[in-house]
Amino acid sequence: MLLKLAWRNLWRNRTRTWLSTLVIAIGLVAMIFMDTMMVGMNTNMVKNATDSLMGHAQMHALGFRDEQDVKLTINDLDQALLQLEKHPDLKARSLRIVTQSMLTSSGGGEPVLSLGVDPEEEQLLSKFDEAIIEGEYLDSVSGQKLILGWKLAEKLELGLGDRLVLTAADAESGEMVQELFRLSGIFKTGEEKMDASMVLVARKTLQSMLKLEGRIHQIALRYSKLTQDGTPVNPLKKPDDSSKNELLLWTELMPSLYMISQMTDLSMAIMGTILFLIIALGITNTLLMGLYERMFEFGVIKSIGTTPWQAARIMFFEAVCLGFVSIIVGLILALFVTALFANYGIDYIGIEFSGVTFQEKIYPSYKWSRLVLYPFMSLGFTLLASLYPAFKLWKMLPVEALRKRKF
Amino acid sequence: MEETVIVAHKIFKAFGEGETEIQALRNVDLDIKRGDFAAIVGPSGSGKTTLLNILCGLDNVSSGEIKVSGRSLQEMSGSELAQFRREHIGLVFQAYNLIPVLTVLENIEYVMLLQHVPAAERKERVHTFLAELGLEGKENRFPAELSGGQQQRVAIARAMVSKPDIILADEPTANLDSETGGQLLEMMRKFNEELKMTFVFSTHDPQIMERAKRLITLTDGRIVSDELK
Ligand SMILES: Nc1ncnc2c1ncn2[C@@H]1O[C@H](COP(=O)(O)OP(=O)(O)OP(=O)(O)O)[C@@H](O)[C@H]1O
Ligand SMILES: [Mg+2]
Repeated sequence: MLLKLAWRNLWRNRTRTWLSTLVIAIGLVAMIFMDTMMVGMNTNMVKNATDSLMGHAQMHALGFRDEQDVKLTINDLDQALLQLEKHPDLKARSLRIVTQSMLTSSGGGEPVLSLGVDPEEEQLLSKFDEAIIEGEYLDSVSGQKLILGWKLAEKLELGLGDRLVLTAADAESGEMVQELFRLSGIFKTGEEKMDASMVLVARKTLQSMLKLEGRIHQIALRYSKLTQDGTPVNPLKKPDDSSKNELLLWTELMPSLYMISQMTDLSMAIMGTILFLIIALGITNTLLMGLYERMFEFGVIKSIGTTPWQAARIMFFEAVCLGFVSIIVGLILALFVTALFANYGIDYIGIEFSGVTFQEKIYPSYKWSRLVLYPFMSLGFTLLASLYPAFKLWKMLPVEALRKRKF
Repeated sequence: MEETVIVAHKIFKAFGEGETEIQALRNVDLDIKRGDFAAIVGPSGSGKTTLLNILCGLDNVSSGEIKVSGRSLQEMSGSELAQFRREHIGLVFQAYNLIPVLTVLENIEYVMLLQHVPAAERKERVHTFLAELGLEGKENRFPAELSGGQQQRVAIARAMVSKPDIILADEPTANLDSETGGQLLEMMRKFNEELKMTFVFSTHDPQIMERAKRLITLTDGRIVSDELK
């Protein structure tokens, strides 16, 4: 009965109620939309980072990442590979030789990071094959072909077919060794570092040049099952220290990227609270107006035997009804808006954000937990908003209210 | 044999303080017996409304004691008073008694719902009173769709259905023309005779006073006469 009373009271002033509904609903839409955009942006950034070279996880010998020492190759490679074979969620892996080196041509020299890869394996980990703008991708695990980024090509004024020399320290004596390559392809990834200072060559060629036959610096991994955060659902067990190898997830390889996604969660929470607080104040005002308008009526209600607590409940119920209507309207609007943007996406291509360049449009993406959280938040804040009016009604003396009659 | 429903003893009521203090009631002693049909009369500002408010615990006294159905009102909390009124006192005001968003039926049911009266009995009681008051077929109307006299009748039905010990009505006919007012009073009188319901009401209208069985006259917050007819 009190609920019915509250519900009908709510619709007495339709304009006001619809306005309040709209305010709450828009708040909800804004929250959900911002959230889906943030999630979409994060997903995008993570996908960018993990798809372009890093993979979802990497294995190295302990110390390799810090020292970049050519001698530090993965220990007991066969055993490590065996472990990888067994894991059901592992989609792809690429065994790489990674070394700092000097690239020289007739036009000059540049320090570069050389990657020795099996082109077939590497295709599944990075996107160099798709990024070729001139010439072609590597085609064999051995041979003298080399591909590099368009910026580097420009700097050294290189053209397809040019002869190039890589110089690096070998693993046995640390002496400088050289190898002649031929430029077979130029790529454009959009990533400054890769386009300006990275070369890819056949793995076997680089292995023999550096006297690293059968040895590997880095295994990049791709998992098939990922959480919405982009972390593997079911990652490989970390090798213990005795193996002298390390296996790190992208969250550890690129902690700054991971932190951004954590921070956006926090900033969303703060923004959400502020937004909803503002809305709550508006609702309080609306409810209070309604209360003052109906003073006499509440006086009657209270004098004929409605206890203070029951009277306060009428106010709570009004708020709950308002909240529910708003949430329904808000959710429908939110689904509509995000669906709209999900279709078209938002174009941030080429814009760099904390070291990652957006390669694709951003599409809003839901986190289902949020879609539940925000409506509850709006309901919670609406209830919060009704606290003061309910308290007023609770302590209001019926005689005083009855004096407000306007005959 | 006669049972007393309300005992008021040495009631004083003052509004405001110091310079602006107004003595609304001065040393009022009053007994209301079961079956009374009493009118409180007196000039405007004489304290009628104040007295009625005090008798049902809506307002508190400055000093003195009130007992309704044997219970002292001064000792009760706001919530206890509300529940006490719900069970023991029916109230009718001058106008706008009804909750505008509830239908006639729902308005009458309201107090019974708070009392947790079972649905079947609620229905039965509502229909008896609607018939008695000549309001059959109007149960699903909203108050705004009724005339002033009909609204007041619904208010009386609402006060009656909860089976209180007494009904207090502050100028129930003041907003009605004299004919409708007379009819309303007839109805109250009928409930008084047939159901032995106790009524105390205030009025300005001499025609209404005539129909009372007991006339309590207030002047300047004092009872100056209290006569049975
Ligand atoms: N809340 C209040 N504050 C101050 N004075 C009040 C208050 N309520 C009533 N009074 C004063 O108390 C006195 C009695 O008022 P009350 O309303 O009881 O008179 P009444 O007999 O019902 O008058 P009417 O016939 O006009 O309804 C009046 O002088 C009035 O001004
Ligand atoms: Mg009065």
